Amino acid sequence: MTLDILAYAAFFLSMALTYAIICLGLNVQWGMTGLFNVGIAAFVAVGAYTSALLTTPPSPDRFGGFDLPIFVGWLGAAITSGLLSWAVGALTIRLRSDYLAIATFGIAVTVQLCMLNLQPITGGAFGIGFIPRPFAGLQENALLFSLANFGVMALVVLALYLGLEHLAKSPWGRVLRAIREDEMAAQALGKRPIRFRLQAFSLGGAIMGLAGAAQAHFIGFIAPDNYMPILTFQVWAMLIVGGSGNNRGAIAGAVLVWGLWALSAAAVSSFVPAEQQARAASLQIVAIGVGLCLMLLWRPRGLFGEVSPLTRLKSLRRAPSKE
Amino acid sequence: MTGSILSTSGLVAGYEPDLPIVHGIDFSVASGELVVLLGPNGAGKSTFVKAIAGLVPIHAGTMLLNGRDITHVAPHRKVAEGLAFVPQTENVFATMTILENLQIAVAHLAKAKRAAAIEALFARFPDLAARPSRLAGALSGGQRQMLAVARALALDPPVIILDEPSAGLSPKIVSEVFEMLKAINASGVTVLLVEQNVKAALAIASRAVILAEGRIAHEGLPQDLASDPLVGKIYLGTAHDHQKAPA
Amino acid sequence: MNPQFIMDGLIAGAIIGLGAVGVTLTYSILRFSNFAHGELLSWGAYLALAVAGALGTLSAGLTKPIAPFSFGWALPLAAVIAIGLTGLLALAVDALLFSSFRRRGSAIIIMVMASFGASLALRSLLEFLFTSRPAYFTKALQIAMKLGGGLRATPDQLLMLGVTLVSVVTVHLLMTRTDIGRAMRAVSENPALASIAGIDVRRVIRTTWFLGAALACVAGIMSGLLIQIRPYIGHDLLLPLFAAAILGGIGSVPGAMLAGLIIGLCEALAVQAVGAEWRAAVSFVILIAVLLVRPRGLFGKAS
Ligand SMILES: Nc1ncnc2c1ncn2[C@@H]1O[C@H](COP(=O)(O)OP(=O)(O)OP(=O)(O)O)[C@@H](O)[C@H]1O
Ligand SMILES: [Mg+2]
Repeated sequence: MTLDILAYAAFFLSMALTYAIICLGLNVQWGMTGLFNVGIAAFVAVGAYTSALLTTPPSPDRFGGFDLPIFVGWLGAAITSGLLSWAVGALTIRLRSDYLAIATFGIAVTVQLCMLNLQPITGGAFGIGFIPRPFAGLQENALLFSLANFGVMALVVLALYLGLEHLAKSPWGRVLRAIREDEMAAQALGKRPIRFRLQAFSLGGAIMGLAGAAQAHFIGFIAPDNYMPILTFQVWAMLIVGGSGNNRGAIAGAVLVWGLWALSAAAVSSFVPAEQQARAASLQIVAIGVGLCLMLLWRPRGLFGEVSPLTRLKSLRRAPSKE
Repeated sequence: MTGSILSTSGLVAGYEPDLPIVHGIDFSVASGELVVLLGPNGAGKSTFVKAIAGLVPIHAGTMLLNGRDITHVAPHRKVAEGLAFVPQTENVFATMTILENLQIAVAHLAKAKRAAAIEALFARFPDLAARPSRLAGALSGGQRQMLAVARALALDPPVIILDEPSAGLSPKIVSEVFEMLKAINASGVTVLLVEQNVKAALAIASRAVILAEGRIAHEGLPQDLASDPLVGKIYLGTAHDHQKAPA
Repeated sequence: MNPQFIMDGLIAGAIIGLGAVGVTLTYSILRFSNFAHGELLSWGAYLALAVAGALGTLSAGLTKPIAPFSFGWALPLAAVIAIGLTGLLALAVDALLFSSFRRRGSAIIIMVMASFGASLALRSLLEFLFTSRPAYFTKALQIAMKLGGGLRATPDQLLMLGVTLVSVVTVHLLMTRTDIGRAMRAVSENPALASIAGIDVRRVIRTTWFLGAALACVAGIMSGLLIQIRPYIGHDLLLPLFAAAILGGIGSVPGAMLAGLIIGLCEALAVQAVGAEWRAAVSFVILIAVLLVRPRGLFGKAS
């Protein structure tokens, strides 16, 4: 019994940590750089599908299945999503700040379409199954299997955390901060803000791709339904709750919000009559939306956050009226 | 000369909450005066008059217009109370035509009176009347300044504040602008004029105030200021240089 | 190729154009891209549905179709009421949410993000209230009339084109010929200058919300009448709306309408040429092309 609980806890935490990875990626884009990405689901999905194509065994009814090792899949995922982010960023970062938001929204819609309609590559609505899982050999022993997977996720998160903390203190991170604080001054010092922003956006996207791959291999199958706009909302809620600009907050926010989400979903499925469950689920989403707005209004620094991009971005451009 | 029409007491203002630019100014303009506000670049002249107009947050102090407290009144309400302001830059709607700029300015009048009001402005500024459908953004600096002043006058204000209306204009136009200001003042409008063009401004002013580092450094009659060597050297030196420097 | 795509494209384009006019107005005056604008379309459609339903229960005569259209008087009456209600909804969201950010002088992107949260909440609230089952304004079927040139349209569709034309011309005249329209353009160019020119900026902002929401409501009702009403109609139209607003040039009412028609026609063409499943990608392709070639759009001002 306790072993079951332990196995479940490891499973739950592993899932939460995959979100923590996405959240760390978003933190590079938003927290460190102030770039607003509304298409998180797309970058995660591209990573997941890339890794799935690279690592699954060959399949007669669709392109690929290259049967490559899992880590090659993960690497490929990061590279593809990174390149996609680079392309979107290169197009829009020089424009108004919200054009990037609109473009990433467009990417999310388009990637969703591609997943559904490029059947020969993506498997259409049914997605791709039989994605190799790390430590498949341990699958007999549920506890050991869960713990091993949890260990891998924890290692990835730790490595990313340390790497990003290091990066924030590096010259690159300092330039990024300088740009965020005073774009004009940084420009005058010969730093090209667009280039640094673009690099940060691509790095964030690559991390999201990696997260997508990690999630895909952890679950074992993927389908377009996993990458609906709600995923984007969830990750934003995680980062806002955790406090943007703060890597530890991003991780804590991911675990907390995922926990709340899973708990309330469990409550809905056990207490709400079956015919009302869809409605209850939409209330759950209303709560996320309202929560996001309330956090922005009342606790813009997040529950754990120290620095907020709100104050930093303030000087960039102001809203029209003072009342 | 009658009593004070516009006054501030202990006015502290600035763009950011904990960064005052204007440090407690006690200042008053009497009805019918033409007061010129001088001071080096960055002294806080624009900030001070923008605060009066309601465009810069006020941290402390009060201001009165016609004896009414207008410290925290919204900018458009101040206009309705009789305070017109011509900012230093971006003082016309560049994407709109001359006529539309004026139509906005006369919108407070009853519909029946608007056409006549615009006609009167065109009569006063024949340059603008020539092609009323031109975009304000396509006007020359001098024409733009005319339009900005016309826009402010259309509000029919008892008090008008102008922030460096002569900046960037050729000497000939500058003297026209000053003539115009004199005439406006003579028609009974109280004028507060921020200027770098010290000589010309002092020539038409009834009183001068010098601002430095966000505080009033000196106040007096134009002729006294002009002849006071110390004041000229300390506070107006930059202004004189500025005037002589090639544009 | 079947020329019917022109009619389909015009009607879809009319809906997109109306929505995009609202987006372009709110964008140019409130200065942020409102991701919750699509939800105003959905709410407009559902509010009209609810009011029409209530009117129908009051008097069955109101549901009897007005020949040659498919709906009874209940729908136009409900539309008028729904326009007002949608406007109030937009004002309420502004009062509760966006006005606080304006007061604090928050960055644009914070408002964008708040609008994103608001869109999620508003959409899911519709799903909660009305479920995601499609609903219909009318069950009556209409026969398309031949218009010549191989084109066919139902009376409803022709009415929609007429309503769109009247709406856009009205908004255009409002913007160019009236005090409030000039005030809106003034605020969109320079809010500080507008305020010292005697314009009540808050009133202009309220008017903008109301106008944008009213147009969104009309577009939502049209979309609901054309196909069906679902909580996602607004969300699915959001990308075309943004693409049209940017293609038309932010702030340009005729631009947004024309761009809406262009996008509608391109979508209809793509449906014939490539297949209906790719329809949603058309706006994205157009958006990318505009951002690459001419980010300020057809009639936008260079910034
Ligand atoms: N929009 C602004 N935001 C923040 N600080 C500002 C802003 N405008 C001016 N300042 C600061 O306020 C101070 C005073 O500027 P202000 O424009 O009032 O000077 P001024 O006396 O009008 O100078 P000038 O003669 O050059 O017009 C300056 O230090 C300036 O940097
Ligand atoms: Mg100045």
